[in-house]
Amino acid sequence: MGLLSIIRKIKRKEKEMRILMVGLDNSGKTTIVLKINGEDTSVISPTLGFNIKTIAYQKYTLNIWDVGGQRTIRSYWRNYFEQTDGLVWVVDSSDIRRLDDCKMELDNLLKEERLSGASLLILANKQDIKGALTPAEIAKVLNLEAMDITRHWNIVGCSAYTGEGLLEGFDWLVQDIASRIYMLD
Amino acid sequence: MEEEEAAPAISNPIQDPTLQKKHQSMLDRLSTRHQTRLENSVTTKSKSSLESTSSFISRFSHLKNSIDSQLTTTTTDPTHLKSLIASISPSISALEKLVAENSYYLPSYEVRSSLKTISDLKQNLENLNSKKKFSFKNKSTTKKESPITEAPKSDAVSRPKNSIIRVDSPGFRDRENQLLVENLAGLDTREFTLSNLDSCEVRLIGTCSAVFVNKLRNCRVYVGPVKGSILIDEVEECVFVMASHQIRIHRAKRSDFYLRVRSRPIIEDIGDVRFAPYCLEYQGIEEDLKKASLEEETGNWCNVDDFKWLRAVQSPNWSVLPQDQRTGSVKLSTF
Repeated sequence: MGLLSIIRKIKRKEKEMRILMVGLDNSGKTTIVLKINGEDTSVISPTLGFNIKTIAYQKYTLNIWDVGGQRTIRSYWRNYFEQTDGLVWVVDSSDIRRLDDCKMELDNLLKEERLSGASLLILANKQDIKGALTPAEIAKVLNLEAMDITRHWNIVGCSAYTGEGLLEGFDWLVQDIASRIYMLD
Repeated sequence: MEEEEAAPAISNPIQDPTLQKKHQSMLDRLSTRHQTRLENSVTTKSKSSLESTSSFISRFSHLKNSIDSQLTTTTTDPTHLKSLIASISPSISALEKLVAENSYYLPSYEVRSSLKTISDLKQNLENLNSKKKFSFKNKSTTKKESPITEAPKSDAVSRPKNSIIRVDSPGFRDRENQLLVENLAGLDTREFTLSNLDSCEVRLIGTCSAVFVNKLRNCRVYVGPVKGSILIDEVEECVFVMASHQIRIHRAKRSDFYLRVRSRPIIEDIGDVRFAPYCLEYQGIEEDLKKASLEEETGNWCNVDDFKWLRAVQSPNWSVLPQDQRTGSVKLSTF
């Protein structure tokens, strides 16, 4: 986030934040977005491309970019990096086989310079499934402790199915972005 | 360099006086920069008689050889090793600085190759460093941790952890030529895994939250309604009968899928796969379907999205299984 864009955002009346949702396929990104927005989550097809949702959250307007996680389209994630204030990395906590994949893709993402200023929220989704790993276990597998110290990050367990934990996660994300960008508040 | 500065002035004639002023000041700035650089290079020249590629190369290789010889001095004396490393790293940085200062006139090949040499030297120094660390692990005096030593540590943490957890999740793994039956009653909120099966028949009766399928060959798989999603990866010559909210199929070959899905099934990297509607029956399936909100036939079994075929015409990777080739309804006996 350059100084200029920070100043521009302070000046702007409507307080917008750009949130990028990414993660492996089948992690529940679209379900999370629709659940937060109070929409029906029972008929969601795997995302072919991306969805954009504008949600009024607290006193901010969130522009959420929900990008499909299929392997074929992961290489297009980079097209959405520009101007991202908040990054949400969604993990299917019950998919233990692909956690290595998950770690690798996250590591690659965090190397991206255009995302270096973005706050990072990791959602350990599918906590409603009994075999799911806890957020602490996910943090260990993803080796989050070794993250660059300049990064603002947090991991929260959630269930897009029940809605549990979602607001807690987004509250943190929005507050963190606000404290960085809208310094006047 | 000079041409680049002059070019914009020629190509866009500037009318606006303020713009013209700005442009002029920019040109001035560039020329001062150029001037200082020239002056600097003069001073360096007097110091090291450079400005020619061959003299650069000779100087570079001289420095490099002296570092190399220092690096190869094998020593077991720890204090000596420490002072050695302390003396090598500034000489490497000096070498780096030399390349940077002269990079503007060197041919790009020379710049690249000398940078490569420098990074190799750094790597060697790193190796020497880690050797040293290895033998004095207990002292914990090394404050500057190199990132290279951290990486394997983290892997060591994650790997065993991963494999420990894998064992306790319900599922069938590593079987051959078997009939595998599981009543999922009581596993309502759990995931179920089918992994590495060859020539097996799998019957899962009841509902669960998620199913993971990985590495199946020549299997027949019958699954009761799944409330969440099914993820299938690497299957060959199999028949699946399954119902779920979402179904994702990766790397499947020569397989048939009898599906009921609330959303559109997706396929990625597959070939020769056919689809038909769900056809499973067992005592109490109606109730289970209702529990998973899958009692209605949505017709989505044939609305397949192929991530490897984003065109309007039918993907060549999958087809609808012709009516006369479908199996009748599959009846499983409960026990």
